[in-house]
Amino acid sequence: MTTINGAAVRKVVIACDAGMGSSAMLAGQLRRQLGKHSVAVEHTPVDTIPADADVVICHQGLAERARISAPDTIIVPIQVFIGDPAVTRVVKAVQTGGDLDG
Amino acid sequence: MTTSNYTPTVQGTGVKATIQRIGGFLAGMVMPNIGAFIAWGLITALFIPTGWLPNEDFAALVGPMITLLLPVLIGYTGGRLVHGQRGAVVGAVATVGIVVGADVPMFLGAMIIGPAAAYLVKRVDGLIQDRIRPGFEMLVDNFTAGIVGAGMALLGVWGIGPIVGRLTDIAGSGVDWLVSHHMLGLVSVIVEPAKVLFLNNAINHGVLSPLGVTEAAEAGKSILFMVETNPGPGLGLLLAFFFFGPRSLRPTAPAAMIIQFFGGIHEVYFPYVLMKPRLILAMIAGGAAGVSTFMITGAGLVATPSPGSVFAYFAVTPKGGWFGVVLGIVIAAAVTFAVAALLLGFGRKAGDEADDAAVTPEEQADREQAELAAARRRSADNKNLAPASRGSGDDTAPQATAKES
Repeated sequence: MTTINGAAVRKVVIACDAGMGSSAMLAGQLRRQLGKHSVAVEHTPVDTIPADADVVICHQGLAERARISAPDTIIVPIQVFIGDPAVTRVVKAVQTGGDLDG
Repeated sequence: MTTSNYTPTVQGTGVKATIQRIGGFLAGMVMPNIGAFIAWGLITALFIPTGWLPNEDFAALVGPMITLLLPVLIGYTGGRLVHGQRGAVVGAVATVGIVVGADVPMFLGAMIIGPAAAYLVKRVDGLIQDRIRPGFEMLVDNFTAGIVGAGMALLGVWGIGPIVGRLTDIAGSGVDWLVSHHMLGLVSVIVEPAKVLFLNNAINHGVLSPLGVTEAAEAGKSILFMVETNPGPGLGLLLAFFFFGPRSLRPTAPAAMIIQFFGGIHEVYFPYVLMKPRLILAMIAGGAAGVSTFMITGAGLVATPSPGSVFAYFAVTPKGGWFGVVLGIVIAAAVTFAVAALLLGFGRKAGDEADDAAVTPEEQADREQAELAAARRRSADNKNLAPASRGSGDDTAPQATAKES
């Protein structure tokens, strides 16, 4: 089980199948929310998650593939693309320095 | 909090993940090149003799782009996925071989030979890597890539091109058969469930659009571009959720509609179907109704509408083709809405969250957590002597927390 403190997060990767659609949308939202915190937010295909990602967010249906391509990274699966509590948790952790694990 | 529930275990052998990855690989060859497809589609829609602004000089672009540029881009990208820049170069060279060896646009062929050629170079590189004398690296690297590329191109002209051309013909006549027997709507029975399992790109960009491009090159338009991409069913589903869904989910539906219907990101509606799996029947019904409408009205698009937004649809609708395209979207939305509304009991079961048969342990944990958080907030509110009672405080869906916080 990996754990990271929200304050130590430098790069959040949003992954979807092609890395062009839903991930780009969610990344845009997160970038606005995390803009002040010097956290890089990227969107990539779920099979090519960059190794320097601290936290990976992807839909639950793709989490298995995310786990294969980023075995040691914290993966936060989500269920909905608008207002998922898991995403809110990540934002909160980065903003206030709480712990994230997974 | 226990987040172990949120972390999928390491599984390298999951069937679903494997299918997704294969599909993702196919789609991954096409999707980065969609810009080129759209450029070709726009030029075609505008300048061919039956287009909006017929122009012979510009129309000369259409042929070389579809038969040469687009397959080479796909072969290049496929090669790059397998073996980086070297694989890309060899994949492109090999693709030219099959392009020359066949008389139909070689999309499926490019998706085979691009990665295959790159894989061959990868193996060759692995074999000779440790045997190169110092100073000869560049010479060897360039010539191995050149020799493999040339060899694969020749093989493409003689062997692979004609075979894949034949396969493309067979697949195309299979589609013709479905169309002429008015059965293309049945495809939705497979397409719609696969879509919500995140195989949407694999199906559209991996299978349907390569076949569609072949058809469009001959007939000027293709219905195959519209099978997976129709934004109507998703709109109908979200409308049904807006009016008749669980109360906690209703407020999220309008934003999802905009993103789905106008932005073309269909993924936003998948979770709504996954939450209530029986709604897949509504998606199938709406998808089949849409495809059948397109088929009966003879509708088609000149290029792949990607993303599946209504704007992208209009951009690649051929001149005079509006009626069938709009009708198919509207009917698909209406049918999906009607069936989904029926399956949702017209909202009578709105407060009843417990009827989800498909609540996974993970969802359950999520809900419990949301419930807990909501309860904590409520008690905090009470302490603050907040006067207003929270009317919807009984909502237990995870979304409720998200909106409140």
